[in-house]
Amino acid sequence: MNNFDRRRFLGLAGLGALSVASGGLLSACGDAKTSSGPGTTTQDQLQKLLPAYVPSELVKADIPSVMGANGFFSSPAFLKYPDNPVATTSGVPGKGGSYTTMTPLWGAIPSASGNSYYDAVNKAIGANLKLQPADGSNYDKVLPTLFAGDKLPDWVQIPSWNMGNLGFADAVNKFADLGPYLAGDAIKAYPNLAAIPTSAWQCCIWNGKLFGLPVYYSGATIAGTIFHRKDILAKEGINPDDIKTPEDLAELGKQLTSAAAGRWAFDDIFDAIGQIYKFPVDPNRWVIDDAGKIIHRYETPGIIEALNWYQAQAKAGHVHPDALADKREDAKQRFWSGKVAITGDGPGAWKGDDAKSGKAANPSYDRQAFKLLSTDGKPQIWMNPSAGMYSFLNAKLSGDQIKECLAIANYLAAPYGSKEYLTVNFGVEGTDYTMVDGNPVLTERGSKEVATTYQFLVTPISPTTVIAGQTQVVKDYAAWEADMVKYAAKPAFYGMNVTEPAQYANINQPMVDLVKDIRYGRKPVSAFQEGLKTWRAQGGDQLRAFYEDIRSKYGTGQ
Amino acid sequence: MTALHDAPPASLRAPEEKPVKKNRFRRDRSLLLMVVPAVVLLLVFNYAPMFGTATAFQRYSIYAGFWHSPWTGLETFRQLFADPLFWSALGNTLMLSLVQLVLFFPVPIALAMLLHSIMSNKIRTIVQSVVYLPHFFSWVLAVTIFQQMLGGAGALNQFLRQNGIGTWDVMTDPDTFALLVTSQVIWKEAGWGIIVFLAALAAIDTQLYEAAAADGAGRWRRMWHITLPGIRGVIVLMLVLRLGNVLTVGFEQMLIQRGAVGRDAAEVLDTYAYFYGVVNANFSLGAAATLFKGVLSLLFLLAANKIAHLLGEDGLYRR
Repeated sequence: MNNFDRRRFLGLAGLGALSVASGGLLSACGDAKTSSGPGTTTQDQLQKLLPAYVPSELVKADIPSVMGANGFFSSPAFLKYPDNPVATTSGVPGKGGSYTTMTPLWGAIPSASGNSYYDAVNKAIGANLKLQPADGSNYDKVLPTLFAGDKLPDWVQIPSWNMGNLGFADAVNKFADLGPYLAGDAIKAYPNLAAIPTSAWQCCIWNGKLFGLPVYYSGATIAGTIFHRKDILAKEGINPDDIKTPEDLAELGKQLTSAAAGRWAFDDIFDAIGQIYKFPVDPNRWVIDDAGKIIHRYETPGIIEALNWYQAQAKAGHVHPDALADKREDAKQRFWSGKVAITGDGPGAWKGDDAKSGKAANPSYDRQAFKLLSTDGKPQIWMNPSAGMYSFLNAKLSGDQIKECLAIANYLAAPYGSKEYLTVNFGVEGTDYTMVDGNPVLTERGSKEVATTYQFLVTPISPTTVIAGQTQVVKDYAAWEADMVKYAAKPAFYGMNVTEPAQYANINQPMVDLVKDIRYGRKPVSAFQEGLKTWRAQGGDQLRAFYEDIRSKYGTGQ
Repeated sequence: MTALHDAPPASLRAPEEKPVKKNRFRRDRSLLLMVVPAVVLLLVFNYAPMFGTATAFQRYSIYAGFWHSPWTGLETFRQLFADPLFWSALGNTLMLSLVQLVLFFPVPIALAMLLHSIMSNKIRTIVQSVVYLPHFFSWVLAVTIFQQMLGGAGALNQFLRQNGIGTWDVMTDPDTFALLVTSQVIWKEAGWGIIVFLAALAAIDTQLYEAAAADGAGRWRRMWHITLPGIRGVIVLMLVLRLGNVLTVGFEQMLIQRGAVGRDAAEVLDTYAYFYGVVNANFSLGAAATLFKGVLSLLFLLAANKIAHLLGEDGLYRR
């Protein structure tokens, strides 16, 4: 049973992004609240700081990465683990040091004592990393207390969507400045870190200093998209490639809903239709309109159209009632069991383990994503920051300790296809995993012991890989992603870390609540303008001025 | 008969009232010892965190801490009181509390009296266990059960739909939300609430019932003249305690269902403090909202106690 894969956790992160989005907690590369400036960095400073990029030539993907628009590209895909994995590091990176680490974990936290996976990786890196994974869903509530109590571990990972309430331009002062060790050519001492593309490192910079190590780099990170059950559509004689506009999608609402039989067309896909109507979803919030004005997503014309579309579906009874009762946590169950035919989710939901769960409920289960929809035949999708999470070293560590940690990070960042990658992700062959049809599959012991812990400290480019023997899923996903990246676009302030002033922290929640009231049909769409007026008066306009200032000083990142 | 309920005459009490302090301590030491763990718990988990309320008067920053965050006096409270969402949360809290007071509070009393009247021990134990059980469910589970039974795609509505009868999604209806949460509370907590009343009922002397029955009093008369007066003290005590908690109406229960019915119906003081205080790390505002709630609750408690005294009951403590 292979219920572990790095992409799966990327998926969870993506799901988190979608579900938390409506809570307004998400933040761009550290769009946090602070009292001491926005923490943003100028282009000149960036050029001096950014580490050199030396791509890894280790393995050739079965389905190569496809270059899309604006420099975004799809993930390389592998149908089986490359033969004869090679070592990318020599000797043991660590010097026997001992470090505490904290990483978020979505799933059961494994026992540390007698954990052969932990022991094997610690032995391989030559140091004692004391892993303390913490519940990912409550991570944002744990972090402020660690900062307030000055009890930060030596090495801590912080997801970008948890930075919102930390005032991150202030928070980074607690962490070590990695610039002296990694900026420019210095990174070449750590070849696996140097193989992480530049756009990921750019997200790790605050106040003109390089603080973070990127986790989960992808060439085209999106918040989510619209998925459908291809098997259900096929039974109704619907070809998913014919669905190109929101009107087509609405038509499916009628065709696929059969309430008496317990099936509804849609789950809560509101966040996913942001792409169609061109209003950004978290962590992206600002758009530059055709006249060059900076507008918030609530001020885009698209959001009104989206609210109209969605409310019509809700009122017509095409949305599952549990989705309208905000029961997001059961959304996957509803999709697996065929109670809904169309859902919105992070891209990570489309993985081998999902196919396995779905097929357990119904052998013909087939999750596919629609090709990007649009209102005008010109689809577009705004990209998320290329690395969604970052890890940081405590400022209290000495220079030698930082070097040791970076050497360890270099080991952990070994690319797919290497010997180290197998150790870091799967532990010991024979104990924690075995090779089945050319792919590593966790043993029963492995599935209890191996969790995404070391990988959440730093990760190399994440390819698409076979999970649970579901090879077709890899092919389908790679094909869809190759199509999607053709429409990739940079949102405003892309890849820039902007920390918003603290006094505007509370103006977003009323809008989040109002949008929910409208899309679930509790309030008319006309109520939106009233709420928007309040939002502007309570600080929205000042926030715009703040971003105008950012634009004039640092550009828009586009 | 009346003597049983009245306090002993003052002349008899007097010597006990003022024993030498040392003697009193020696006499009560085992009792005092037993209280120590509870007092320590109270100090650590209830009193020590009260220092945190200081943040309500600061612009608290997690990086500056208590000691270095700037003091702002009543600024946070001014901000709080100027927020219409705060007042709407307070209004919701009071309304939901009032509905629960009227509709929920009598239920455990009635249930306890019903149970008490069951003669068979076996049946009583079974019923008691069944009505206790939901108390041990988490709110997530309780709401899920309600959703699966009464939700738009729940058992009831699917049955109605399949038989061509109109449906009603009570789980997402903001207008009936107060009744929904009250019935959830009754389902989950009424069984647990009967414990105190059962104990009070057990303390009533059975001879009274026998004597009354011999005098020809029927079931209702016995209930009116013996049972209810017998547990009146406990009822008043529970009522006073409930009033002291009037601003607390189930944080989890509201948080879970807030999305389903919307902020206007389900935002209460605790969820307000959560969303605008904790989630956005505006801890000062959260502290101010909860401090306001704490002070108001104390006033409610004292007022309720005062009324209890005026009605001749002990309330929380004897005057």
